[in-house]
Amino acid sequence: MSEKSTRRQFIEGSCRVLGLVTVGGAAGLLTQRTSANAVYQVDPFKCTTCDLCRTSCVLSHSAVKAVNDFEKCGYCMLCPAYMDVLSKPDERGIPTGKVCPQDALKRRVVGKVDAEDPNNNYYEYVVDEALCDGCGKCVKACMAPAGNGSLRLEIRYSRCVECNECAIQIACPDRAIVRVATPGMAPAGPAR
Amino acid sequence: MEPTDRETTPVSVRDRIWKAWLPGVAAVGALAALVAGSLRLRPTPRAAPPRPQPAGTPGPAGQAAAPAQPVRGLARTYAQSAVIGGAASPDRFLRSLTGIAFGAAELVYVLGDDEIRAFESRGIRVRSWRAPEHAGCLAAGPDGRVYVGSPDRVDIYDAGGAHVTGFTAGEKDKPADVTAVAVFGTDILVADASARIVRRFGLDGTPRGLIGNQNKTGGFILPNRSLDVGVDGRGVVYATDTGRHQVTAWALDGTPLGKFGKFGMSAPEDFVGCCNPVNLALTPDGKVVTGEKMVARVKVYEPDGTLLAVIGPEHFDPSTTHIHLAVDSRGRILAADPVRREVKIFSLNQSPQERDRP
Repeated sequence: MSEKSTRRQFIEGSCRVLGLVTVGGAAGLLTQRTSANAVYQVDPFKCTTCDLCRTSCVLSHSAVKAVNDFEKCGYCMLCPAYMDVLSKPDERGIPTGKVCPQDALKRRVVGKVDAEDPNNNYYEYVVDEALCDGCGKCVKACMAPAGNGSLRLEIRYSRCVECNECAIQIACPDRAIVRVATPGMAPAGPAR
Repeated sequence: MEPTDRETTPVSVRDRIWKAWLPGVAAVGALAALVAGSLRLRPTPRAAPPRPQPAGTPGPAGQAAAPAQPVRGLARTYAQSAVIGGAASPDRFLRSLTGIAFGAAELVYVLGDDEIRAFESRGIRVRSWRAPEHAGCLAAGPDGRVYVGSPDRVDIYDAGGAHVTGFTAGEKDKPADVTAVAVFGTDILVADASARIVRRFGLDGTPRGLIGNQNKTGGFILPNRSLDVGVDGRGVVYATDTGRHQVTAWALDGTPLGKFGKFGMSAPEDFVGCCNPVNLALTPDGKVVTGEKMVARVKVYEPDGTLLAVIGPEHFDPSTTHIHLAVDSRGRILAADPVRREVKIFSLNQSPQERDRP
C-alpha cells in the first residue's frame, strides 16, 4: 500500500519539475540564439533605409553594407544612386553631386568605351565596403520607380560579431533585421 | 560545550532545502530573467532628418511627388474625360494591366488579368478572350486584327478573338524579350529589349529587317530593360531610348531620321531619372505622346521635340514604372496605369472656334 503524499511533498515535486523545465527552456533558447546555423540579416522588402543600421551597430563602422545586385542593375549612365540628380548640372547637363556622403559607390565603364558621348557607355557600380557605413542613401535612391532597385543593405558576416541580441534589430522600427537559418552554411565570422 | 546551530540542524531538513527549494528558487529566478528580457524597454528609433526636396521631384521613398503647380503656357491642355476598368467598374482589373491599344471599329483593347478585353469608347466591354501565357503587350491593326506580344513570341487574333497565326520573334539561341508591338500596313514591328533593337516582320512572321542597330552602340541603351515602339501614319517608326533619355525616329528600312530629348530634373520638356521615357504613342496628327516614371506623367511633343502638353503626376500612381499609352481616332490619349489598374482617357481642351470647326 503506497503512502499518501503530503501537500508539502506535492509542492516540492512541482517545484522540481517546474525548475527543470524552465532552466532547460532558457538554456535551449540561449543555445538557439547563439547557434552558428542562424544569422542576422536585413530583409530588403521591409527595409526603409532609415539610417539606423549606420548608427545602431555595436561596431564603430557598421557591419551593414550596401551591395549591388548586378543582375538587376541597369548599368545606367545617370545612376540615381550614384549621382545626386537634383544637384547642379555641368555644361553637359550631368549632375555634379554624389549621393553617397562617403563616396563609397564607385563606377567604371564596362565594355566598349565612348569617350565623346558618356550616354553611349555602360557603367558598373561597386560598393567600396571599407568606406560604406550602411547609411542606405544609395539604396533609397535606387528604389523603383527612380531606379531598378538593384542596391540593398546586407549584414556582412565578415564583420558581424554575432551579438546575442543584435543592437540594430532592437532599434529597427520596421523589424527588417531578421534571424535567418543557415543550416550547414555557418559564416566564418570575423577574426577575433 | 554548547552545540552549534549547524550541528543541531537535522540532516533531513538540509537535504530538503537543497533538493526541494533550490530548483524552485532557480525556476523563479529564470522566469524573472526571461520576463525582464522580453519586457526590456526598447530605445526609441531615431529617424533620419528629411532632406529638403523641391516640388515635383522624387519623394522620401524614392517615389514621385506631385508638383506644386501645373506647367503653364503650353500650346495644349488635356482634361480627364473617362475611365475604363476603374475601381467602381464591373470590368475592373484585379491582378494586372500590362498593355493598351486602339484599333478598328473604334475599339480599345486592354491586356490584363490574362485576358484581352475589347471596350467601346464609352468603356463598355464588347468582348474578351484569353491571352497567351505571360503576354505583356499588344497592338491593333486597321483590319481589326490584334497582335499580342509575349516573351519571344507574337500571336495574331482576328477581330472576334480567334487565333489566326503566330511566330517566334527572336533568333536561334537569342530569344527575344518582346516589350512592345506596332503595326504599319503589312509590317509588324516588334521591340526586343533583350537585343535592344526593333525587329521588323511581315504578317506571316518573315523577318524584314532591324531598326535601331544603326547607331554607335548597335542598339538602344535600356537600363530598365524596356523598349517601346510606335509608328505614325507615314511609316515613321518612333522608339524610346531610355538610357539616353531620347525619343528616336527611324525609317522602316532602319535609316535614322532624328531624335529629341535629354536628361533634366527641372525643365518640363526634359526626361527625369535614370531612364525615360518608358512608353510612347502617336496621335493621328503626328504628335508624339510619352509616358514617364519616377515623376509619373504623360507629355505631348511635336516630332521636333517641342513640348505641347503635360498631363501631370496627380493622375497616376507615383510608384508606377510604366504608363502604357494609346491614342484614339479623335486624338484622345488613353493612359493605362498598371499600379492602379485603370485606363484614364484624356481629351484635348479645344477653344470654342476649334470646336465649331467642321
